[in-house]
Amino acid sequence: MKRFSTFCYAFAVFGGVSAVAAVAADQSVHQKGRVFSVEALKVKTGEAVVFVNDDTVPHNVMSTSAGNEFNLGSVAPGTAMPVKFDKAGSVQVICAIHPRMKMTVTVD
Amino acid sequence: MPNIVFRGPVLRSAALACLASIAAAALAGSQTFAAATIGAPITVPVPAPQKGSAESLKDEYRRPAEIPFPASNPFTPEKLKLGKTLYYDTRLSGSGAQSCASCHNPGYGWGDGLAKGVGDGMKELKRRSPTIVNAAWGLIFMWDGRAPSLEEQALGPIQAAVEMNMPIEKLLERLNSITEYKTLFEAAFPGEGITPAGIGKAIATFERTAISGWAPFDSWIDGDAKAISASAQRGFALFNGKAQCNTCHVGWNFTDDSFHDIGLPDADIGRGAFLGVAVKMRQAFKTPGLRDISRRSPFMHDGSMATLEAVVEHYDTGGVARPSRSDLIKPLGLTVEEKADLVAFLKTLSGSSDVIAQPIQPR
Ligand code: HEC
Ligand code: HEC
Ligand SMILES: [Cu+2]
Repeated sequence: MKRFSTFCYAFAVFGGVSAVAAVAADQSVHQKGRVFSVEALKVKTGEAVVFVNDDTVPHNVMSTSAGNEFNLGSVAPGTAMPVKFDKAGSVQVICAIHPRMKMTVTVD
Repeated sequence: MPNIVFRGPVLRSAALACLASIAAAALAGSQTFAAATIGAPITVPVPAPQKGSAESLKDEYRRPAEIPFPASNPFTPEKLKLGKTLYYDTRLSGSGAQSCASCHNPGYGWGDGLAKGVGDGMKELKRRSPTIVNAAWGLIFMWDGRAPSLEEQALGPIQAAVEMNMPIEKLLERLNSITEYKTLFEAAFPGEGITPAGIGKAIATFERTAISGWAPFDSWIDGDAKAISASAQRGFALFNGKAQCNTCHVGWNFTDDSFHDIGLPDADIGRGAFLGVAVKMRQAFKTPGLRDISRRSPFMHDGSMATLEAVVEHYDTGGVARPSRSDLIKPLGLTVEEKADLVAFLKTLSGSSDVIAQPIQPR
């Protein structure tokens, strides 16, 4: 399961077919250099965003926006976490550790 | 899962299998209340940390050429003059005995040399007075991050009962009764009179000019190979390597402006007061910069460490292991020599100490 997921993820994000990679990359948020790779992202209700810690330090991605609360806790480098958003609205996503890291996921 | 466009039959089936597995994983880890659903963690390849040359590592520590002033409060010499005068004026406190400089004194590396600040009525504060040196580069202020800007921060201690204990209306009245202040405010903020916003902007402008001086470390970064000792050079390598201090003390000012619990034994919850839902923020404090560090012992938010040797000893043991402690803090296994090298390195960060002229206070 784990190995399969790794393959999946590699497929979705680092996939050899550039057209796939480019589109898929829109759905993931990278954290290299203590910044989110995008400031804003749009998804449909029930869709997921993959938060990828491709940095050298742990990150704690979370949100307290009503209906879409989540807290990934301290996520080690080399770990990606999918988060599915079920309520339409604007989700303010932060990293609890690094105040420079802020972004918005718009769910509609 | 998101609307990923997959091309070709083989890729498509692989992709569908992927989606199914991720969806299943998401369900497995699902929470029951109305909230976003967290899926199972996925291991991803992380590019190995670049084993850059010593030279490219040095580039990360080069001093910036200019002080950043925000567009909302650009530098003017008039604001600087007013701000410096206010900063040193004890009449900003209710007792008339304390100024900002009482606790953020250039003579003590812009701190006060005490383990905990001493406020109105000589009462001890909860935490140590931090330095304001290089605050121009700061992102968020106070040990627990409760102040978003220097402009807003300045009005806090003036009014805080435990610190300067001066209601803002009373302060405006007092400043208005001093003719020279009217002139200083008019020059800095023409036509605006004496306002709380003006006080904040002027003091912030002055604070942004409190910069750490050129240090032996800077000469070394600049190419003078003999500017720091061999021991300090080994300390620099440890700082960026085995001791991994640079995972939090980042860049030329040695801070990530972020919050970590480094395992100090006191009970202060720090950042936890604002982000208590995040376990890692309970007992987390803002990473202090390390410029001019040897000028402002004792160290830490509670002033609990008298020397840099004690600080390095703390990191070597990893402090109190608890859920909130940063994953980056763990026993380091440093040798006696390595500890001495780290301390030698930290001591190269203190700059030339210019004499700072105190302003003559307006009457
Ligand atoms: C009685 C001592 C005292 C006085 C007077 C005082 N401060 Fe402070 N200052 C502190 C303490 C203690 C803290 C840390 C408080 C905390 O984090 O809870 C602090 C924090 C700060 C910080 C945040 C620094 C950082 O890096 O986060 C700034 C900036 C600052 N003070 C500026 C001022 C200014 C400007 C004045 C005058 C208007 C002033 N202070 C008056 C004790 C004092
Ligand atoms: C996990 C992040 C992190 C790491 C790793 C780290 N520090 Fe710190 N450092 C901090 C924080 C946060 C504080 C303030 C802690 C407090 O007061 O509660 C601090 C405080 C200090 C202080 C005292 C500064 C002052 O003004 O009081 C020194 C000196 C210091 N660290 C040096 C080091 C050295 C040397 C290393 C490597 C051995 C290191 N740090 C590793 C985050 C870190
Ligand atoms: Cu982060």
